[in-house]
Amino acid sequence: MNGTEPFKIPPEAAFATTYDVAIVGSGVSGALIAKTLGALGLKVLVVEAGPGEDVTIGEYTKSVERFYSAVSKDNNAPYAHSRNAPMPRDYDAVKLRDSQPNDRGYLVQNGPFEIDSTYSRVLGGTTRHWEAKALRMLPDDFRMQSAFGRGRDWPVTYDALAPDYGRAERELGVSGNVEDQRYGGLTFEDGYVYPMKRMPPSFLDKTMAKDLDGFEVKVGEQTFALNVRSTPQARNGIPNPAYDGGKGFTPTGAVSIHQAEMGGRCQGNTNCVPICPVQAKYDARRTLLAAMDTGNVHLLARTVAFRVEVDGTTGRVTGITCKTYADKDAPGHVTGMLQARIFVLAANAVENARLMLASDLHGSSKLMGRNLMDHAYLLTWGLMPQVVGTGRGPLCTSGIEDIRTGNYRQHHAAVRFSIHNDGWGWATGAPYTDLAELVDARNLTGAALRRGLIDRVGRQLLLDCMIEVLPEETNRISVDPRHLDQLGNPRPVVSFHIPDYTLETAAFSRRLTRQIYQRLGAEDHTRYDPLAPGWVSHDGEGFTLRGGNHWAGTHIMGTEARTSVVDATQKSWDHGNLYLAGAGSMPSIGTANTTLTLAALCLRTADAIAAELSPGLATASVSTHCQEIPA
Amino acid sequence: MTPEQTQADLLPGFLAISSVLTGFSEHALRGTGQTELYLATACEMVGDDSMRMMLGAFSACDIGDDTEAMGRHMRLCILSHARFGPLARNLIKLWYIGTWHCMPRDWHEAFGGNPADRDHIPSPTSYTEGLLWPAIGANPPGAKPFGYGMWANPPRVTRA
Repeated sequence: MNGTEPFKIPPEAAFATTYDVAIVGSGVSGALIAKTLGALGLKVLVVEAGPGEDVTIGEYTKSVERFYSAVSKDNNAPYAHSRNAPMPRDYDAVKLRDSQPNDRGYLVQNGPFEIDSTYSRVLGGTTRHWEAKALRMLPDDFRMQSAFGRGRDWPVTYDALAPDYGRAERELGVSGNVEDQRYGGLTFEDGYVYPMKRMPPSFLDKTMAKDLDGFEVKVGEQTFALNVRSTPQARNGIPNPAYDGGKGFTPTGAVSIHQAEMGGRCQGNTNCVPICPVQAKYDARRTLLAAMDTGNVHLLARTVAFRVEVDGTTGRVTGITCKTYADKDAPGHVTGMLQARIFVLAANAVENARLMLASDLHGSSKLMGRNLMDHAYLLTWGLMPQVVGTGRGPLCTSGIEDIRTGNYRQHHAAVRFSIHNDGWGWATGAPYTDLAELVDARNLTGAALRRGLIDRVGRQLLLDCMIEVLPEETNRISVDPRHLDQLGNPRPVVSFHIPDYTLETAAFSRRLTRQIYQRLGAEDHTRYDPLAPGWVSHDGEGFTLRGGNHWAGTHIMGTEARTSVVDATQKSWDHGNLYLAGAGSMPSIGTANTTLTLAALCLRTADAIAAELSPGLATASVSTHCQEIPA
Repeated sequence: MTPEQTQADLLPGFLAISSVLTGFSEHALRGTGQTELYLATACEMVGDDSMRMMLGAFSACDIGDDTEAMGRHMRLCILSHARFGPLARNLIKLWYIGTWHCMPRDWHEAFGGNPADRDHIPSPTSYTEGLLWPAIGANPPGAKPFGYGMWANPPRVTRA
């Protein structure tokens, strides 16, 4: 088939075809599975709730310009609002009053914690706004219960997953330095290098490292030396000629069905979230286009999964009812049924659980939607003694990783710190709020204003403290027939609280960051507003915690149907031809952004599906009553 | 006169006051390509009269190159003036970040203007041409990148 056809499969043709595999969601999970299976000759359909646009530079540029024109530059600002496939927006998280749920946005917030995490319902999913940090989880993160008596163990060890981490780092195109990743028990295959060399540390990173490296910190009974280390990230840099036994690596640049020559290397646009204008940041459209190029994958966009249909006797999925709309806002849709031998839900941890619960499928463990996790972020901010050039480079090039694990995890949660090159924006709305203060309150104009801005913005340092949250059954996604979207789909209801285990580390992190600012001679400007959403208090001290957009745990992985939802391949215990893929399967999230780990898991899932449906049988599997898939 | 003629008439004064307010030369302001659009935006939201009166007050005394005298003149006649002060501060923000902020409600009640006044960015390039970014030695996030690895170098701006 030529380049454009697979993106324009008519809904009636898709619904009349029995595919080998039908995947709900075009994000990184679904794209990786589709690409792997398509390459093996299996016939795959990918269904996307949002518009299936942005496969040309021209369409992508519209998203960039929408971002430029948006007064509120939140992490979904580049994407058009859609009434038929609405998205959560961070500004919809407001302080809950009198324990009343907040339903002003797409997510219904039940509290008690007001979480400002979001996701994107567009082609490529939330990789369209992710920052692309690509840290591996630590070996200890996979054995929380056996090592620390907390949380849950995975049915997979780090060592077993390590080769898949390597595959994921290739698929996503990770720039990093293995030597900087030797801490906390992390191991790599002998001679392993990342596909591309690390992003050069920023001037701010280097300035901090001068005074910070070697700082000894006691956590629990152990002493750790802190060091500024480069952060691996799925952003195109300089290919490492030593990669793959000396074969090297060729970065994939901008996505386009037409020839496009950009995105081969980061240019320092300082806008990793939400949108890289040159596409040097990985997003799942890259994998989707490669999947389409196999000739075996179709995309059906503007189609929202409505109900998973199950045979009451066998438990097998007989189809997924979907609603396809023509206009993103206007009411009206057609209903159809996805047909396939195997179904994969890859719509993210919130939407997967929402769909299953909306289909009255709570799982024999009754854990569907429960064990919801996300990282809790404590933000701290200060002014360096000297101008450090804030506002240049990728959002983060380095972090502090040395205390990501230790025996202290028996008592409180793990944490890592990111050093932000983009200043206080996440915490305070800088530099816009700084400009307003200098003009409106300090009455500065002209040259004095320019000097004031350099002093106020050019010295900014923001350290984010990414804190682990463990699975708890009361933290959950649920559905409620009182809260429906325009298509009649139940909206996700979020119930979330921050456990003491996590709060203890928030308090610890505040103490440690104070010491870091003292060591750097930086002015600590951190303050938390008790009236802000996300305000929590612990032992008499108050903090504002922010969400990390790392939704996980809602179809948790385990060793048996009684205590988990999926097995180690992400296959449902209850439904023999259904996989629930993505961070929803993760039994812990440690202190790593979830994407790299869920990508590694999904590559394993693709292997499991391929083993089930051998490619030799795949051609015969396309049932005779439907039209041929155009080849 | 048509609105275009009115605004062409106001343009020299608008550039002059904008330069004093922002600390950027008229040449640099011209270089953003936003001058006419910003004048039109401001006039549309506050009305031509307010703009004309403010520019009249600005050029009422011949100050020349005396920056101290200009600073005093701005404080006394523009920045502390009930009608002109909020408009002048809005112009600074428009030039710096490309966003026109809705004027305060009490200002509209006192001085009229456009009932449809609202926060907005007049054009996508208004954002990328914001003066804030060159002022702090940074690029507007999402545009005008300095190039791979340049972030590792010392900043080009220094504290006064």
